[in-house]
Parts: sequence; structure tokens; C-alpha cells
Amino acid sequence: MALSLLLIALIAVIVIVLLMFIYYFNKFAVLGNRIDNSLSQIDVQLRKRGDLVPNLIETVKGYAKHEKKIMTEVTNARKALMSAPTLPQRMKAGSELQSALKSIFAIAENYPQLKANENFLQLQQELAAIEDKVAFARQYYNDSILSFNNSVGTFPGAFFAGLYGKKKREFLQMPAELRAVPKVQF
Amino acid sequence: MAERLSFYDEIRNNKLKSLALIIIIFLFFILLAYVISLALNFDFFIISIFATIFSIFYILISYYNADKIALASVRARPADHIEHKMLFNTVESMSIASGLPMPKVYVMDSEQINAFASGRDPQHSVICVTSGALQKLTKQELEGVIAHEMSHVANYDIRFMTLTAVLVGMISIIAQVFLRNLWLSGGRDSDRKGNGNLIILVIAIFAAILAPLAAQLVSLAISRKREFGADATGVKFTRSPTGLKSALEKIKHESVSPQDLKRYSKAVAPLFISDPFKKKFQNLLSTHPDINDRISKLSRM
Repeated sequence: MALSLLLIALIAVIVIVLLMFIYYFNKFAVLGNRIDNSLSQIDVQLRKRGDLVPNLIETVKGYAKHEKKIMTEVTNARKALMSAPTLPQRMKAGSELQSALKSIFAIAENYPQLKANENFLQLQQELAAIEDKVAFARQYYNDSILSFNNSVGTFPGAFFAGLYGKKKREFLQMPAELRAVPKVQF
Repeated sequence: MAERLSFYDEIRNNKLKSLALIIIIFLFFILLAYVISLALNFDFFIISIFATIFSIFYILISYYNADKIALASVRARPADHIEHKMLFNTVESMSIASGLPMPKVYVMDSEQINAFASGRDPQHSVICVTSGALQKLTKQELEGVIAHEMSHVANYDIRFMTLTAVLVGMISIIAQVFLRNLWLSGGRDSDRKGNGNLIILVIAIFAAILAPLAAQLVSLAISRKREFGADATGVKFTRSPTGLKSALEKIKHESVSPQDLKRYSKAVAPLFISDPFKKKFQNLLSTHPDINDRISKLSRM
């Protein structure tokens, strides 16, 4: 009687431990995937930004031929973005491109016809929206890191993390893109 | 200084309270069924088989079509990619910030600022915004409103609200079936049964009348709680309460023509970000918490 009780208790403990192993394995996998997915979301937005640049250059050329310096700056920044092999490099190039684009929108102030161009306005809006999306994608990436690190860093997750060789991950330290505050309110 | 509310705590609190509330609804349901079966021993079983089959169909149909029913009832149309570009960009931004799939985007004609989310899970979610909201809100305010709606999706409020509505509906149906049955067979039963049964019968009648009302009150209480929760999660997505707060201020001060209210049915009112009927007084029958309370909670975040 006492022996069978002991046996049942032993089996119960083994089952619980086994379930915890499975639970934490899956938890780390899900949280890790979420981090990878959010990184690829940043990448998608950076590429979209790069794709819009040639169109923008074409439009600006029509009105502001003399602003060669800024245009080559933007073109080069785009080239750097498109050829960067790793995501951290692409993110760096992406924010350089963003600041180059800012100077294009700044000179547009001197060309009223350009400023009124439908295509230009649309591109400006689209690039501003991408800037927002990059910022939100970074934010979600850091959120994902936070929940991963929380589960790796607290007990009992920390114990299983040690067994599975999961370590805390780094938050994004890349140059942050400040979200543009809309000047004109509709 | 007022204590700062952590949005994570707010979400956790809200989930616990909602769970308690839905358990209360279930208890109502069981109690009602029990009292009724005491009052009508045999008749009820046959009827309850039909009622069960009916309610299962009812649950399934409303569960899978909740979004379509809601959209159809306010005559929403799919948003246009070019005309509503800012709306699309905002929804996409919020879906990135929340890590949820992109919902389908709809627009409904109405002069007031309002919006709702529906669908059974994040993979089948829809967000609908009024044309008034698109005209009157700035980009940041719209972002706050969309973040609030994305929170309903993220917290599974859209599923929860659908289930609660279905449960409340079922309780009313069972109560109705019982009362009608009693009406039809009332005369002949009273001849056969004694005083004890009469008391149970009276209790059952009271229960059948009160249960649907009580269930309705509980579901409205859940609905109000969920609005606070969605405000809190929305702030987590935008990282700033400013947009939503100033959108709620605008909603508070706008006046709406009586014709505009006809676009909304009572059934869909709890789904919206603010009460479409703009009732002034706060009570047990309110679908939404007091807008001033929401604004002051947002100010403390």
C-alpha cells in the first residue's frame, strides 16, 4: 500500500518534470521565433524605403537639377543599404538614408513647384509612414527581447535556459530613428 | 502625485476580473437550468434537447460570422487603399507594434468619431473606423484609436465579447422557452401538484425573468472593464497615451445629430471605442465606462 503510493508519487513527479521540460523548450522556441520575425519585419521596411528612392530622385530631378550633392548622397546611401550583407549593417545604412532623405525634403521647401507635385507628396507621405513602421518594428523587437529575457532570467525558466543553453539577448543599440512629429495637421 | 499604473498590471488585473465575470455568467446559467428542471420535471428535458441543438447552431453561426454580422449591421465597406492611405498605414504600424497579423480594414459612414474591432481571433480580425473619425482626428489621435482597437484583438477581447454575447443570448432563449412552456401547460399542471411545487414554480418564474437581465448586466460590466484594459494595452503599443487621450477629449466634446444615431444598433454598441449613443449618465446599463474616468486614467500612465 505504502509502496504503491510512493510509486504513484514518483510517477507524478517524473511526469511533471517532463512536462516542464517540454513547456520551457517550446516557450523559448516561440519567444525566439518572435524575435527573428520582428527582425525580418524591420528588414522588410528598410527595403521598402530603398525601393522608393529611385522614384523620388526622378521626381526631384525634374524640379531641382542643381541639388546634385544631396542627390548623390541619397543615391549612395541607398546603394549602401541595398548592398549591405547583414541586418545590423542594413539598419545602419537605413538610418543614414533616412537622414539623407530629410535633407531632400528640406531643400524641397525652396522649390514650390516640387512641393506641390502630387507624386512627390505621395512619396513623402509614404516615406514618413515607413519611418513610423521602422520605429514600431524596432519597438516590437525590443518588446520581444524583453519577454525572452524575462523568461530566461527568472526562476524556474532560468534553470531550463541553462540546460538548453539559452542566453539573454541584446536590445537594439543601433542608431534610433526618431519618429517624425507631423508639422502639418489635417 | 497619483500612483502610476503599469500597463502590464492593468492587463493582468483586467484578465482576472473578466474571468471571474464569465464564471458568474456560467453559474447563472446552471442555476437557471436547475431551478427550471425542478419546476417542470419531464417536459423540460424534451424542450431542452431542442434548445441545446438550437443554441449550438446559434453559437457556431455567431462565432464564425460575428465580424460579418457586425460589419453588415453598420453598413461598413472595405477601406480603399488609395483613398484611405493614412488609415492603412496607421493600421499596419499598429499591427507591427503589436506583432499581430494585419486586420482587414473597413470604413463606415457616420459623422461621429468612433471605431470597433471584431472577429473570432487575431487571424480573422477586422477593424472598422467611421468616416467622421478619419475627418476629425489627427494622425496621432487616429493612431491611439487604432492602438485601442488592436488591443481588443491582442487581448482576445473580440472572441471574449462574442462568447459573452452568445451566452447571454442562450440564457434569454432558455428562459423564454421555459416561460412560454409554462404559459401553455400551466392550467393542467396545477391540478396535479401540491403546494411545495408551487413555491418552486414561483422561484423558477422569478429566476427565468431575472436571469437574462442579470446576465445582461454582467456582460455590460465585462464590456466596461475591457475598455480600460484596451486603453492600457493601446498605450503599450504607441508608447504614449497622448494620441488616445486627445481623441477621447474630441469624442467627449463632439455633438452628433439624432439621424446619425440611427446607423448604430444596440447590439453592436459595446464593440465601439466609445458609446455611439452618447448617453450622459453612467449606470449599470452603460456599455462603456465614463469617458472622464478613461481620460484621467490615461493621464496617470
